Amino acid sequence: MTDIIAALALITDPQVLLVILLAAVFGLVVGALPGLTATMATALLVPITFFMAPAPAIAAIVTTSAMAIFAGDISGALLRIPGTPASAAYVEDSYKMTQKGQAELALGICLVTSAIGGLFGALILALAAPALAEVALSFSSFEYFWLACFGLSCAVFIATDAPVKGLVALLLGLFIATIGIDVTAGYPRFTFGSIELMGGVSFIPAMIGMFAVGEVMRFALASGPRPTVPNQSLRHVFHGLGRVLWRYRLNLVRGNIIGTVVGILPGSGADIAAWVSYAVAKRFSKEPEAFGNGGAEGLVDAGAANNSALGGAWIPALVFGIPGDSITAIVIGVLYMKGMNPGPTVFLHEPQLLYAVFISFFLANLLMIPLGYGAIRLARQILNVDRAILMPIILLFCVVGSFAINNTVFGVGIMLVMGVLAFFMEENGFPIAPVILGIVLGPMVEENFMTSMIKADGNLLGFFERPIAACLGVLTLIIWSWVILGLIRGRPAVQAAPGMPGDQA
Amino acid sequence: MRVNDALSGVVLVVLALAMIAYTRTFPAMPGQDYGPALFPTLIGLGLILAGLTLIGQGWAARARAPWIDAAVAFGSRRQLGRLLAVPASLILYMLLADPLGFILTAWLLLFGLLLLFRGGQALSSTLIALVVTLIVHYAFTQWLLVPLPPGLLQSILY
Repeated sequence: MTDIIAALALITDPQVLLVILLAAVFGLVVGALPGLTATMATALLVPITFFMAPAPAIAAIVTTSAMAIFAGDISGALLRIPGTPASAAYVEDSYKMTQKGQAELALGICLVTSAIGGLFGALILALAAPALAEVALSFSSFEYFWLACFGLSCAVFIATDAPVKGLVALLLGLFIATIGIDVTAGYPRFTFGSIELMGGVSFIPAMIGMFAVGEVMRFALASGPRPTVPNQSLRHVFHGLGRVLWRYRLNLVRGNIIGTVVGILPGSGADIAAWVSYAVAKRFSKEPEAFGNGGAEGLVDAGAANNSALGGAWIPALVFGIPGDSITAIVIGVLYMKGMNPGPTVFLHEPQLLYAVFISFFLANLLMIPLGYGAIRLARQILNVDRAILMPIILLFCVVGSFAINNTVFGVGIMLVMGVLAFFMEENGFPIAPVILGIVLGPMVEENFMTSMIKADGNLLGFFERPIAACLGVLTLIIWSWVILGLIRGRPAVQAAPGMPGDQA
Repeated sequence: MRVNDALSGVVLVVLALAMIAYTRTFPAMPGQDYGPALFPTLIGLGLILAGLTLIGQGWAARARAPWIDAAVAFGSRRQLGRLLAVPASLILYMLLADPLGFILTAWLLLFGLLLLFRGGQALSSTLIALVVTLIVHYAFTQWLLVPLPPGLLQSILY
């Protein structure tokens, strides 16, 4: 109880509240603009959170990501361009509603279901994380090794439509993680004599490069006139909303549950949650013909699912240090830099910080209703921001952010290399989220693998001797053999939804 | 630029082979069978397997997917110029930031990219670049205490 009060004191500090408010506005604007994703918003925020205390830093990231995932719906409904990939699943429906003159209703549904979904995800997070942490305390290197393998396998095989390309992305990430002084022997690997590489590839410049510079390059390549915002009233967003939500109340519950579960699965985040729950809603709907034709039903399901996935993704991140999506991968990198190693021990040593995470989730999703309403009212102005002006500014921000971490231009170099790599990977259908997961989890996988190998004296059966480790190990092997069997039979093992992109929320 | 998966596969296999060859130079840990070379070697083997699979898939799809399809993605020469301007401006920043200082280099980077992306409008681009540079400089040096290089403007700034 004292921890909860301590956490409340941390969050209700006026300065922290101001940070949350600014983060909310930032998230809404970045999320609403097409081509700027929620992950990019988080990545751009990180250099600034680097200089903050842990509580406001976490609160800022939570708020930004939640707002950005909702705001993606705004340009989806008004321009037919999802502002973030998480809104892509139902963009047809929301845009057709706008064409029918129902833009207010569509945005109202998106706003309220987003807030409800976010609150539900946060509730599950607050209930499940401490309970799971009790279990996690008894884990040894064997369990952690398999857990990380299981998480990475999910990221590769469930979250991407081309398993081989996902695997390549993951292995590249793991390779990048091995650069620098190695964890067991202290030998500098792949540094080619560079002193700056001895400490490894810095995480923040790498992540800014992949999620922001790659995006700026894609903008540079794209051309064409700016789409115009339809001239419709956006004033009465909540009018008639209660009736629709009551009619689809079961969809709302289902969307929440699916979203949270998909969020918990490592490597799959808000965008996959939206695709899955939209598909499920269509499958069990009484009027499946309305899907894709401006029906409100799919909007309720998927609108709630993508926001509840955010809370879900924090569960494995906080309990095991294994990110549930690319946003929590960034969070884990930030926590490590702040000297807080995510994992069950955080629950023992710094419970007030965990409660601070839960409270900021609730706060952010409650704030979403008034601030989101404001964003909808200002949608025309936000969407008319000239991206030709915005993108160079974002690039300068990336440069300063990458420089600020170690105060060397070497960080800018890492950002440049990773940005070009991300651009070419995306052009050729390689997902980039597994690279970031590989970089974040690489040291943990290797350390637990080496410790386990030494403990078991090279006997691979030793990896299966403890019961939980055995279960996780078998589960991982089942995923692998399923995929390999599918490849041998010459078809993708996991049939992804058409047009489903890799996770980059 | 889109390339056939088989080409990506070849690049990956070559990269992985070089990586494994390099790990041979890592020292063994005294008294241990498993040293710093083990994990990178496993990653390299995985990359070789994945690369070979890509080669197989790309070869099978060679009728549909051309070896290199620069036109699909790069489009016109103007688009290519805009694309290359992004990495080029970052390289220039790395080279110029220390001698010129942050303010001049950042202004140059913004001004150049604004001019290119907006297709002209030199006057407003000059002003936008100046205002943004000064705001970013102030925020990072005064609030976040990042020592951005002063360069040529050292005597004016301090």
